[in-house]
Amino acid sequence: MPSSPNFTLTLLRTPKQPPNFATFIVPLNLNKLDLRDYLWNAYGVPVRGVRSFIQQQKLRQDKPNAKRAAPRRWFRPRAIKKMMVEMDDPFVWPDEPTDFTAWEKETKDALDEDQKKKQDQAAPDYREKPSHERKSIAEQAKDILAGKDVWSTEATKPTWEDDGEEVEVEKDVKI
Amino acid sequence: MSTSTSIRPVARRILRNAHPQHLPPTFLLPSLLAPKGHSSPFSATTPLPFPRDHNRERGVSTARRTGVREPLSVSKIPLPRPVLDPRLRAKVETDPNHGLWGFFHSKEKPMNKPSEDLTCGRGWSVAELRGKSWEDLHALWWVCVKERNIIATEKFERRRLEAGYGENEGKARDAMARVTMRGIKHALTERYYAWSEAQLLAEEQGELDLSTRTLTRPQDFYEDEEEVMPAEGLLAEPRTEEKTQTVA
Repeated sequence: MPSSPNFTLTLLRTPKQPPNFATFIVPLNLNKLDLRDYLWNAYGVPVRGVRSFIQQQKLRQDKPNAKRAAPRRWFRPRAIKKMMVEMDDPFVWPDEPTDFTAWEKETKDALDEDQKKKQDQAAPDYREKPSHERKSIAEQAKDILAGKDVWSTEATKPTWEDDGEEVEVEKDVKI
Repeated sequence: MSTSTSIRPVARRILRNAHPQHLPPTFLLPSLLAPKGHSSPFSATTPLPFPRDHNRERGVSTARRTGVREPLSVSKIPLPRPVLDPRLRAKVETDPNHGLWGFFHSKEKPMNKPSEDLTCGRGWSVAELRGKSWEDLHALWWVCVKERNIIATEKFERRRLEAGYGENEGKARDAMARVTMRGIKHALTERYYAWSEAQLLAEEQGELDLSTRTLTRPQDFYEDEEEVMPAEGLLAEPRTEEKTQTVA
């Protein structure tokens, strides 16, 4: 089946573009004429014009599946090709969902944060960076200097509550 | 002008030395009041009134955004102000039959919930696909292609919104579409092998004449069967149909 494609197109949400424009992530070997024919024959979308651009990805250390990134082993992810299509009729995406409980967003965010904290701890320069305690001390000092807070040692002193005379609790215990 | 040039230095000197400390000594008073000789300006060129050079564009700069000197026809109309808040902008009506809705599972929401993604069944097995016609397989292939486009669009949107989980559900759905597509390729490859082997066999046995593209029936092979099966026309028809299918 030479005419049957085996790739995916990704339609992107582009609120800053005019509504009669649509942008797709396409495979690198797809050209403008291919996309025009694809959209017309598979989706029935008449296309007036296509603009294409390739976004080079950032250079990073080691491949993404490496357990520990080796130094000076560089890796550049594959470039991303995007095509902007001008259509006859406007198309606007459906609204973003506001409630993410179905996706368990809170759980995932908490887990990601925890993981990031652990990754930071494993970093070689973890001890050289200011800790959270030091950051908080610096912030407190700043507040005192700015006059927002007052210096007091009361909180550090042990405080005793005066409950009156001493009372023998277990009077009726017979030994 | 000549009077002003002659008076000015004197006045300036007096004004500057208003403070008693800087007053010249009294014996210099006659020299201050004495009339000065004729003085002339340094340059002989007659000074031009403004504008200096008869340049009409002087002072007009695009870099400094000065604008033109004379008012334009549109100067009285205020410039339209952009609406920065997207909620206040006019809503664009999307055609319910727009082709790009094919990139979504539903027109109400941009992506499925993970539970909705899980509701799909299984992919088509090769055994089920073997009995399908070419048209059916072709249609099913395109259903899978579009489904994979939807899944890719949803995946990108989910990541962009940082919606949470749902990646694995989408992956499972994508794998199911790919299993079906692989099954279609498998069934068609089998069909192709069957056809080419049948062609070879027919050539060997002299049934198929490639120069004229006609299928000749081996008479000696079917002679015995003709007596057994009286309905010969029924047997002959599918064979000719197969010929047109395979040779075409």
